[in-house]
Amino acid sequence: MAKRTTKRRISKSTKPKKQAANKSKIQLNDDIGEKTRLRMWQLQLEVRHVEQRAHDLFFQNLIKGTSHLAIGQEAIASACAAVMRPDDYTFCTYRGHAHTLVRGASMEGVLGELMGRECGMLGGKGGSMHLTDVEKGAMGSYAIIGAHLPIAAGAAWKAQYLKTGQISFCFFGDGTTNIGAFHEALNFSVIWKLPVVFVCENNLYMEYTPIADVTAVEHPAADRAGAYGLESIIVDGNDADLVYRVARDAADKARAGDGPSLIEAKTYRHSGHSRADPATYRPEGELEKWLERDPLKIYRKRLIDFGVKEGKVVAIENAVLKAVDDATEFAKNSSTPSKDVLMTEVWADGGSSWRN
Amino acid sequence: MDVLMPQLGETVAEGTLSIWHKKVGEKVEANELLFEISTDKVEMEVPAPAGGVMKEILVKEGETVEVGAILAILDEGTDGSVGTTEPKPAPSLENNSQHLTHSPPAVSATAVTPNQDPKRRLSPVVRKLVAEHNLNPDNIGGSGRDGRITKSDVLALLQQKLSASTDQAFVSSTGSPSVDGKKVIAFNRIRRVTAEHMVRSKSTSPHVHQGVEVDFSRVDRVRSDKGVAWKAREGFSLNYLPFVARAVCDAIVEFPLVNAHVEENSLVVYDQVNLAIAVDLNFEGLVAPVIQNASSMTAVEIARSIAVLAARARANQLTPDDHLGATYTISNNGSFGTLFTTPIINQPQVAILSTDSITKRPVVVEHDGEDYLVIRPVGIMTQAFDHRAIDGAYSAAFLRKVKEIIETKNWEAALP
Amino acid sequence: MAELTYREAVADGIAQEMERDETVVFLGEDIAKAGGVFKATVGLYDKFGPDRVRDTPISEQAILGAAMGAAMTGLRPVAEIMFSDFLAVCWDIVANQIAKSRYMTDGQVSMPLVIRTANGGGARFGAQHSQSVENWSMMIPGLKVVAPSTPADVKGLLAAAIRDPDPVMFFEQKSLYPSKGDVPEGEHIEEIGVAKVVREGSDVTIVALAAMVPRALEAADRLYSEAGISAGVVDLRSLVPLDTKTIFEQVEKTSRLVTVEENPRLCGWGAEISSIVAEERFWDLDMPIIRITTPHIPLPSADELEDLALPSVERIFKTVRQGVD
Repeated sequence: MAKRTTKRRISKSTKPKKQAANKSKIQLNDDIGEKTRLRMWQLQLEVRHVEQRAHDLFFQNLIKGTSHLAIGQEAIASACAAVMRPDDYTFCTYRGHAHTLVRGASMEGVLGELMGRECGMLGGKGGSMHLTDVEKGAMGSYAIIGAHLPIAAGAAWKAQYLKTGQISFCFFGDGTTNIGAFHEALNFSVIWKLPVVFVCENNLYMEYTPIADVTAVEHPAADRAGAYGLESIIVDGNDADLVYRVARDAADKARAGDGPSLIEAKTYRHSGHSRADPATYRPEGELEKWLERDPLKIYRKRLIDFGVKEGKVVAIENAVLKAVDDATEFAKNSSTPSKDVLMTEVWADGGSSWRN
Repeated sequence: MDVLMPQLGETVAEGTLSIWHKKVGEKVEANELLFEISTDKVEMEVPAPAGGVMKEILVKEGETVEVGAILAILDEGTDGSVGTTEPKPAPSLENNSQHLTHSPPAVSATAVTPNQDPKRRLSPVVRKLVAEHNLNPDNIGGSGRDGRITKSDVLALLQQKLSASTDQAFVSSTGSPSVDGKKVIAFNRIRRVTAEHMVRSKSTSPHVHQGVEVDFSRVDRVRSDKGVAWKAREGFSLNYLPFVARAVCDAIVEFPLVNAHVEENSLVVYDQVNLAIAVDLNFEGLVAPVIQNASSMTAVEIARSIAVLAARARANQLTPDDHLGATYTISNNGSFGTLFTTPIINQPQVAILSTDSITKRPVVVEHDGEDYLVIRPVGIMTQAFDHRAIDGAYSAAFLRKVKEIIETKNWEAALP
Repeated sequence: MAELTYREAVADGIAQEMERDETVVFLGEDIAKAGGVFKATVGLYDKFGPDRVRDTPISEQAILGAAMGAAMTGLRPVAEIMFSDFLAVCWDIVANQIAKSRYMTDGQVSMPLVIRTANGGGARFGAQHSQSVENWSMMIPGLKVVAPSTPADVKGLLAAAIRDPDPVMFFEQKSLYPSKGDVPEGEHIEEIGVAKVVREGSDVTIVALAAMVPRALEAADRLYSEAGISAGVVDLRSLVPLDTKTIFEQVEKTSRLVTVEENPRLCGWGAEISSIVAEERFWDLDMPIIRITTPHIPLPSADELEDLALPSVERIFKTVRQGVD
């Protein structure tokens, strides 16, 4: 079956046709704008450095349990966050530190939760895989593959029913495209025309197995889109600008009441599936090849190309580093949860009683 | 499964199938009443050992067969159970009661091992109540399956005790005003129980009364010699009753048949004397608490027991234990100056002795062939006996013996 | 008072709440235009329209996932799972997501949703369409569990469930759909977590749920007329929250407890109640606690076989009579 290609297939380069000489002329060529670009740069840095810090804290034995790091995949979450309204809803997987941070959740909240401290955004009760910040629209990280896809559709249903103009963004991995809930959610969202954007981050591996070994089609998400009457959309997930454009179009479509989209963003994760995974299943040279396409590397160059001063670029990075340090200190000094919270918050009344 | 003629008593070899309660083809529940048997000692209802359908009846009503004979065949297990109820124990027939009381019990046809003895199995709530109220389970009748003591058995007992203590005083209500020239005073519980017992006793036992005059001078000598010291030591006066009681126990050794119960055409004669002492509760009723094994006690011990029992009776602190197992009764009516009383037998005993007033009377005594008039403390003791059990001559001989003991026993030696 | 059937009371209860509250929405398979395969939601589509009463594809995970997403963000959805057996298909959403999200997020999310489903046997549908699975829900922390036995309770408890800020699993017993009963006029709401003593008794307490309640009542009548046993019957109505107070009051009075459950034997809801009573009211018991349940087998389809399996009036009567001495 021929692959469907559309105008949506974005070329890999958006280098400006001319160099920085005439800045204003370049800016006329710019459909994203410096403000948004700087925001995306900052978001990617925040994700990268928080994740890096999480990695280090694990080796210091301050983070227990399991953590799934998204180092190398920062561009996707950041670009989508830049597209979203503050009151839009996001749903992500257990590899969700990135998606939660980019909505504006605090670093202390993230690091504190990973370290099981009181200042953790879930009070130490949810852990790394369930990061949630409802105030910021981050409606949860989900540890059961596929579960959050229909849930994201439900949030979109609310927006549709109450006509609020909100939309849902739902992030998941390539492995999710083979589970039942993925298919139910897509079909359901299409027939109800729900304002939800499904974003598949294809990092080539379903946990420890190459996705190609377990999927009937080449592009696990994009090649399924047609089955639900949707456009096949593939984008370079390591280039924030490219993701931004695709996400923006999907968001506009949803907000206009024209229903859902399915985006497949190609990317790669630098670390293993979880912190316990040294990822020896990767073929030799694969990681190095992808490191060349590190999203931060790409975007640093992009900013310079678009005329942002190096000093500013670095300054933002330093500010982020400092923020991460501060947050780390804060979280380290936070106490472990009080035993009083053990039996709380099963029910809306704050309690957990099942009898009188 | 086979339904067998049950073992009814050690010496019983056969029984008569008197009534079938199920026909062939009828459905039978486990423990449902299946048939009745009679022997020369007892009538008994027998429950079905298992559930099922009556397949065949081998022994007809009115037929007499040996213990262990097959009476009928039951087709088991057609009661549709689907495994949610506890499996029934394999039925085998065993008499779980050697002691026949005067109301025949329904004997269970299921095997009872010692640690499954239903009478000993106390449920949690029964245990709790027994502990709370300081009861003795051995004295509580069990109306539950296989004689088990149930919660309601215990509650009924407690209710009895409660109403006994809170029952309206009978006699004192005579102080209330008359209406239309009369007062209607309803019987309280003790009155009702007494009334029922008295009527039943009279209609059960053909009463014959015999009286004998007794000279208490020897007893009196001991009483005057030792009375003061006794009172000081024991806290209560030494009266005639312990002497009478001890004399009765001694006489019973020679005349055991007065210390017995009548049971369905036989006399059950007891080895020891459990002596009931009738106590009047200030005109509010009669109780007869029992001195267990009075025959083994000295006069002194009997005196003490009587005092304790009487005190407890008047303070309404008698326990169910105190009423059990009497074999002979003494009723002391002397304090009111009566000459004699014809008492009513305390069922199921066969005799009761009334002692009445002991007064100084002129008596003729013979000495060296001469008659002299002397003043002696004399009292009439009257025994009522059940003429089914014994005859006048036997009773009279017993009374003569009691008189002799009272008049001639070395009472000085019997007291400290 | 109006006389309604149990199934009419379902539609009535949902309608009452949908009228009251704009955020109440309803989704499920064949529930809108068709009025439900059991005809329990007839009229709602006509009354409230396609925006509020929506048919779905056969996608149980999507149905419950969507209900959860909507509930988390401000709606009060009622979701139907056609046969309670199908909860197994979407059990992840129920047990892992809906039940746990509030606790895991330390109270950030609320889920005021109701999952209503047709539960139980007696309709000869066979093993995969006849199960009573309220006990599955009872065991998962974070779910409220309700199972009414009368039309009035259907309406009142469904209304209460919809108003409840927490997720409620609402089990309608399909064999009771045609049963009739009086339902108060006007707004009717009951309280979740409160059992009802539907028959006073002094010798034994029978605790029953849903379709077993009318059977227990019939058995109680026979127990009295044929065996002189005064049996009280408690309609539990809710498994979570559990009205232990009422159960204790009755057991203190009668000292005998029997449960009648449509669940198969192992881990039926009666096991939990027996355990609680045995532990906390041991010293009130005059008889071992007896559980009357379906045997531990899948349910057969043939009439006689299914009737043998489900606790019948006859079996309840005999078991209680045998136990009480």
